[in-house]
Amino acid sequence: MEKFQRHIALEGKELSLGYRKGKTSKEILSGLNFQLFSGEMTCLLGPNGVGKSTLIKAILGQIAPFSGNLSLEGKDIKTFSLESLAKQIAVVLTDPIFPGNMTVGQLVALGRTPHTGWSGRLNEQDRFLVEKALSDTKITYLQDERLSEISDGQRQKAMIARALAQDGQVLILDEPTAHLDLVNRFEIMSLLRDIAVNRGKGILVVTHDLDIAIETADRFWLLNCGTPLISGRPEDLILSGQVNQLLPSDKYRFNLIRGRIELEGDASEFWIEGPQELVFWVKKSLRKAGISEVQGQITIQHNPLFLTYSGQKFGTLEGLIQYLKT
Amino acid sequence: MPLRPYLFPITFLLLGLSVLLNLSLGSVWIPFGEIVSGIFSGNWARDSWEEIILNYRFPKALVAIFAGIGLSISGLQMQTFFRNPLAGPYVLGISSGAGLGVAILMLAGSAFGFALSGINSWAIALAGISGAALVLMGVSLVAWRVKDSMTLLIVGLMFGSAVSAVISVLSFFSGAEALKLFTVWSMGSLGALGWSQVGILGVLTGLGLLPVFFSIKSYNALLLGENYARSMGIRPDRMRWLMIGSTGILAGGITAFCGPIAFVGIAVPHLARIVWKTADHRILFPASALIGSILLLLCDAAGQLPGIASTLPINAVTSLVGAPIVITLILKRNFSKDF
Repeated sequence: MEKFQRHIALEGKELSLGYRKGKTSKEILSGLNFQLFSGEMTCLLGPNGVGKSTLIKAILGQIAPFSGNLSLEGKDIKTFSLESLAKQIAVVLTDPIFPGNMTVGQLVALGRTPHTGWSGRLNEQDRFLVEKALSDTKITYLQDERLSEISDGQRQKAMIARALAQDGQVLILDEPTAHLDLVNRFEIMSLLRDIAVNRGKGILVVTHDLDIAIETADRFWLLNCGTPLISGRPEDLILSGQVNQLLPSDKYRFNLIRGRIELEGDASEFWIEGPQELVFWVKKSLRKAGISEVQGQITIQHNPLFLTYSGQKFGTLEGLIQYLKT
Repeated sequence: MPLRPYLFPITFLLLGLSVLLNLSLGSVWIPFGEIVSGIFSGNWARDSWEEIILNYRFPKALVAIFAGIGLSISGLQMQTFFRNPLAGPYVLGISSGAGLGVAILMLAGSAFGFALSGINSWAIALAGISGAALVLMGVSLVAWRVKDSMTLLIVGLMFGSAVSAVISVLSFFSGAEALKLFTVWSMGSLGALGWSQVGILGVLTGLGLLPVFFSIKSYNALLLGENYARSMGIRPDRMRWLMIGSTGILAGGITAFCGPIAFVGIAVPHLARIVWKTADHRILFPASALIGSILLLLCDAAGQLPGIASTLPINAVTSLVGAPIVITLILKRNFSKDF
């Protein structure tokens, strides 16, 4: 049973976006249709410069759409004031943040800004929500640490907690995992998914991490130059091959078996025998070394590893490649 | 949050002591006890002391307090608004702007061959404020998108030197009397004001502080930058006008009355951050106001050379004290980290 009624938190219809400068206007995105559901984590993927930031700016009300309709909780986004929009949508941006003297607790408390009076004093409910945001992101222990003294991953979690404390229906994160190590990427993305599911929020994450997005996202939005936005379950998009839209040239393909993007090459030119998972790495290494064909068979032995080629034995791939190249 | 509740009482105590020290020092030394008993009982050991304290030193101490509050609060607002630890009324050319306003008022009359009659306190204040606001608007237009300390500094310096050039031109064409008046003003002085002018300065300080009270929360949000502030329902463009209004009135008014006073605006907010170790403006605003008052009272007291009737120009003293503070902060490297 779902705890929250799933509904469309944010919807775009035939949206056309761009920038006006003087009399000239530059359209960046057109004919955009999308639906962001509550209780789901949606990942927006697309190459640099395709207009992801423009879309975020439009959702935040910072630029007005040229045409089309953008609605939040069923109401046109233009009818929201800056203050009431702030109560509905919270963001984590890529902007670097300055105040090293601020504690994590104070940062998260700032999320209550749209809800507090002129002095920013927190009432009981505000404090409850701040504590809940801290515990939901599992950083309660960092509460009194200063921003200058915590790691990048911890700071990103603190920024997510701040956005969570803002208590809107929609959370938008612009590349929250950039500059983070692998473990932190996974942690943050699964944290976001937990928040979406457990608190019924509609979460939109802009990311370039295809691997992790596939593992964690409920829905993908694929944005590409000149094509309409593709929306669907990640697995659906993979099975239908639409995920390849992300890849600009035919050189790369999404490998269904490995679940990742690979350089496309015709593997049949190699004649390799051995365990399937080892063959993969041998091929990869040969292809990277610029070797496109090998006369004769390569045999792989596992435990201990050695490779046999035309009667020679090699302990490492490096040895084999050196032999093949000379 | 590591609260330090004892800090505010201690600072208030220091403020009281600084006021006493400031009142007792001067060409005539008046003991602390005499001042306290004189103020509270109204009986003074010597009539001259009553005259000195009530009509000379007390207004001067008040001016020091107002100027300390105004300059530090301006500095804090500008540092947060520009997200730049080197921002301050003096560095960004605001004081020069106020100087220009006053120079036009004092010098232009004689330069263009007509006398501007009725140079009263309000006119000087108005001239200073409009000059300050004008320069501040120019700087903020240029520096709006500039997050880099160096660029902002250079912009401020350029505005400052352009303004100085205009003042030089005005000085060149103006008469000796007006020039002397202006030169004395530009050295800065806290003591040249009578009670009525102190009243005006008080009103201006109150007026300039008013927008601050209503935007404490916004300043906290602005610490995260313009985009985050906007996402939390704060309108940065409205904040910009509030900041220009507030710092224009505070820094402009104070500069108009006391002459340019350097380094208080930039150094005091950093001292407040270091002592209170917080970024919260609910604490930083009162803390900066207190430290600013204390610093200016002490600087003024330090300028009263014992046994000599004349005093050092306040601008010289604050520069001598403030410059090393700022250099130390820069060398400590956590300058922006502690922001």
